[in-house]
Amino acid sequence: MNASSTTPSVTEVAQKQMKHTCEHHAECMKVIQAILDDEASEAEKDHFRENMDKCIPCIEAYRLEKCIKDSLNFKIVKKPCPESILNTIMSKINS
Amino acid sequence: MLVAMSETLTTNEYTDDLRYEVFNREFMPHIDSMYNFAFRLTMDEDDANDLVQDTYLKAFRFISSFEQGTNAKAWLFRILKNSFINDYRKKSKEPSKVDYQEVETTYNSEEASDTTYTVDLRADAVQELIGDEVANALNALPVDFRTVIILCDIEGFTYEEMAKILDIPIGTVRSRLHRARNLLKEKLRSYASSMGYDS
Repeated sequence: MNASSTTPSVTEVAQKQMKHTCEHHAECMKVIQAILDDEASEAEKDHFRENMDKCIPCIEAYRLEKCIKDSLNFKIVKKPCPESILNTIMSKINS
Repeated sequence: MLVAMSETLTTNEYTDDLRYEVFNREFMPHIDSMYNFAFRLTMDEDDANDLVQDTYLKAFRFISSFEQGTNAKAWLFRILKNSFINDYRKKSKEPSKVDYQEVETTYNSEEASDTTYTVDLRADAVQELIGDEVANALNALPVDFRTVIILCDIEGFTYEEMAKILDIPIGTVRSRLHRARNLLKEKLRSYASSMGYDS
């Protein structure tokens, strides 16, 4: 997500104690939503950068939310509008 | 009501030629999105056809309140959503009879919405689901929750655009989306477990 120089390297992360529980998960869920929707404030982005790579529940939640959002966007079939509706609209506005 | 949609009371000068030009250039490219939105709101093909037609005819009739250069798609979605509420919602054949107010009250409670669902669904399980299963889970949501997910995740509107389309504050957009997604996760979870993708 974030490739800035402040992001710890993989080995640094591995050395860190990963968190297995998140004491402010409800708040984090709101931040994750805002990040994925590209609507996060600077404060939310900071919080995300600082915490995302060391909290297992948040990493999993992020993956899940992103997967659902992508599924909605790419998997659901979008039907074309039937030709007959187009024709009716055009004939009505032209009459 | 329609005049207020441009957010100003000024009407723009449109010659007849310009009306057709703007209609074709700004409005018609969104007809597939509009049709899909109408279908997901009404859950009925005939109603969706009528709703799209009515919306486009209204848009043409009130085209002078559309300000060129502003977001035509959001403007159209707003007319469609208002038409749906005023004309179709009462006679909707939607099978889900869940009372929206009741659901929103339930999910207004932070405890109910934020802590109970988190662990039971894995991304891998969602990845296995096909489009129809995801669509069915979405369609099973009460219409107001379904709407925010469609607008945000399928149509890609910003929170600000959604607030205008739905006539609600941005804070309500955020919280309604949050609740809608929690509800959707519950639906997806029951799909995933019924398919044997248990977590």
